Amino acid sequence: MPDLATPTRAVPALTIDGLTYSYPNAPHEALRDISLHLHPGEFAVLAGRSASGKSTLLRGACGLVPHFHGGEITGQVNVAGLDAIASGPGELASAVGYVAQDPETQIVSTTVAAEIELPLEMRGDSPASRARAVEEVALALAIPHLLDRTVDTLSGGELQRVALAAALVTRPRLVLLDEPTSQLDPVAGDELIWLLRRLNEEWGVAILLAEHRLERCLAAADRVVAMDAGAIAFDGPPRDFQAWSHDADPALTTPAARLFSLAGIDPLPVGVREARQILDSKGCRGRGVGPPLHLTCSGGEWSAGRGRIAGKVQDVPRGSDPPSDRPALDVRGLWVELSRGDEPHDVLRGLDLTMARGERIALMGRNGAGKSTLLRTAAGLVDSVRGRVETADGMVLLTQNPSDYLVRERVGDELPGEAGMEALRIVGLEHAVDSDPRDLSGGERQRLALAIALAGRMEGEKLSGLVALDEPTRGMDRSRRDELVELIGGISEHGAGVLVATHDVEFAAAFAERVVLLGRGCVIADGPVKEILSGGWYFATEVARVLDLPRVITPEQGAAVLNAEVEDL
Amino acid sequence: MRSSFAYTPRPGPLQAASPGAAVAYLGSLVTVAFVYSSPLVLLAAGAAAALAGLLAGARDAVRAALRMGVTLGLLIAAVNALVEHRGETVLARLGEWPLLGQVDVTAEAIVSGLTLGLRAAAAMVAFAVYSACVDPDRVLRALRPIAGRSALTATLVSRLVPVAAADAARLRDAARLRGPGAAPVGRGSIARRLLAGSLDRAVDVAATLELRGYALDAPKAKRRKERSRHDARFYATGATVLTAAIAARLLGADGFNAYPTIELGIGPLTLALSALVLLSGLAPLRRKPRRAVQPRPAAPPTIGHAQTPRPETSHA
Repeated sequence: MPDLATPTRAVPALTIDGLTYSYPNAPHEALRDISLHLHPGEFAVLAGRSASGKSTLLRGACGLVPHFHGGEITGQVNVAGLDAIASGPGELASAVGYVAQDPETQIVSTTVAAEIELPLEMRGDSPASRARAVEEVALALAIPHLLDRTVDTLSGGELQRVALAAALVTRPRLVLLDEPTSQLDPVAGDELIWLLRRLNEEWGVAILLAEHRLERCLAAADRVVAMDAGAIAFDGPPRDFQAWSHDADPALTTPAARLFSLAGIDPLPVGVREARQILDSKGCRGRGVGPPLHLTCSGGEWSAGRGRIAGKVQDVPRGSDPPSDRPALDVRGLWVELSRGDEPHDVLRGLDLTMARGERIALMGRNGAGKSTLLRTAAGLVDSVRGRVETADGMVLLTQNPSDYLVRERVGDELPGEAGMEALRIVGLEHAVDSDPRDLSGGERQRLALAIALAGRMEGEKLSGLVALDEPTRGMDRSRRDELVELIGGISEHGAGVLVATHDVEFAAAFAERVVLLGRGCVIADGPVKEILSGGWYFATEVARVLDLPRVITPEQGAAVLNAEVEDL
Repeated sequence: MRSSFAYTPRPGPLQAASPGAAVAYLGSLVTVAFVYSSPLVLLAAGAAAALAGLLAGARDAVRAALRMGVTLGLLIAAVNALVEHRGETVLARLGEWPLLGQVDVTAEAIVSGLTLGLRAAAAMVAFAVYSACVDPDRVLRALRPIAGRSALTATLVSRLVPVAAADAARLRDAARLRGPGAAPVGRGSIARRLLAGSLDRAVDVAATLELRGYALDAPKAKRRKERSRHDARFYATGATVLTAAIAARLLGADGFNAYPTIELGIGPLTLALSALVLLSGLAPLRRKPRRAVQPRPAAPPTIGHAQTPRPETSHA
């Protein structure tokens, strides 16, 4: 067994040759003839739609496939010189760290310090070296203040960091991460990506990161591996990936790349910084050349102070019903107290919010800002200590785990009768009455859960009141996200207000007409989506960060501005 | 929602003590509760456990355990009164009942039931204090070299219990959020769904343990010294309570009898033992830190001839 404590640069961090794998009793192969070499110090992003085989590949690289899941496997997998198929995850534990999507299930100890220390203890390290390693990894991940906490008092973002610390504490040569930012707010997500980049540069750790929100991580990556139906469809540098995805799978392109593609600008950028440099070099970015442009918007028509830009900006589709006087949600001076550990603390602090019927609002803010608590209080799951919440026409809430709503083995049994059929029709699942919910795709299961919450609350085609969704895009690829945008538009058109708590700024830009930003239990910003998502740095779309123009947040809006400017130039 | 009995790290002697010392101390109180029947001794054992919990900061755990213990105690007393026909002081004749026959409620049966309930409550409070104050990771670490498989099982269970509790809370919330037109969900459906989900959760946790190298036949890690400066206090208190309890028992303490008539049997020995057991509840008391002895300020050094030494005493 090689000495894993001393990195050997000559040995690749990961070598996969001709790997083909099928889960037990599965009709199709999950991985098909995969060949991949990852060198020490490389940072690779694993891209691909849902169910394209990304998670299975990561599980194969850490030995869980086939040792834990069974199935049939052919080919070779070597991690830092160890045969992963012959060795299994236990033997690989010192060479590879794995962080799964759901941090809840990858924590096995009671306190944070014990959790991080466990792999070292299993390896037989001395108490002194364990103590030092725990301290160092905690400092590297900025979590020394969490060491004495119990894991059940941590937020999702904190748990994710603890899981990452437990994966890194053995100083592995390879770290595998499966959508680590899916539960994190934009600030924490960016912090995590750049933390990984720093560890990658300073420690020489090879990183293989599966992610749907590519705009977050492409700029930090050296390489992109795109998967399609269990096979590698692309393997190359991020800039080449942008060009490839534009032609082969537009669902994988980043917003900045779509902006450039719509504006007819080459090459497609990898990140915000490169996009700005390209625009500056072409002299077609308002702020980059000459005095700044003063854009004003009136009725969807853009005009520049210097009279150079005039273009029609695509608007987000609006509900057909005009907002009525009776609000869908009325929150006044709301205080909610929850206990963290054994200490109660205020999660919502005198919050005020009014929402009209038919309105679509994105509720945003950092982890722990109070988004979910507000939704749960409005739905009557949490009691307030002061203030009032009124949902005049009732409220439907879809929580973060749609599977919690599915308890029967037939869709029709979950939703019997005409009310059930009506709810299925609203979400477009009337064809699936006889299906087993477990056989539905992730997006369809989410729609079914929403139908279950909606059932019996409609008056014919009319749906009044409030429909709230809590983090509905976790683990979703863009095509599924676009389907959800359509569904939200449909619900809004039926007359209901739609309130969505989300960390996904691109999703918010696509569906919302108004954004409410929470911070430490209070509303810190509330306004039209174009203003809120173009006025910040973290809570801003990629297009807004590239162009830095007021009220320009989507690729279509940005392209209209750029096209007008290019024509003018 | 977090359980009141969940371990919470706090600064305090009981939390800092090694698991062995904490078990010796709290175990002595449980042992007394099971060895003695005297309500006075049982009350002292329960009060000592509650006092220990309060001094250790586990107020919520003590309160929850007392609530559950009192409820259970009353339930036991009620059931005992119905099923136990011994005792000479008949308080009520309830006639013929199916399965139970002639039901006569006696004062002796009620007192006997209350004694049993008191015993259960005292034990529950002691276990609650243990659960809230003793770090389960340290317990598992201590157990692992002795019984690896049991430690693995305990690790899985200790992690899965809070995960299952959180899952159950989420499933209950989802059931409440179903529309009136959806099929209603009963407790049975939730339990089935929870069981199926728990199996998936267990597989995930087991996979994580694999990845952490739990199955690895690695050289045994050198055990960290888990001793604490407070250990001696808890070992000594536990040993004193146990020795006194055994000695008092041998010398004839605990003359309590419920049947045929109530005999409390509170003699000097029982009183003394009760006082000792009650005092043992003060073991987790934090001592005030000793104030460091301040050295007398030294006279400032003299430099050259410009400074004159300060007089050490004031002029009379």
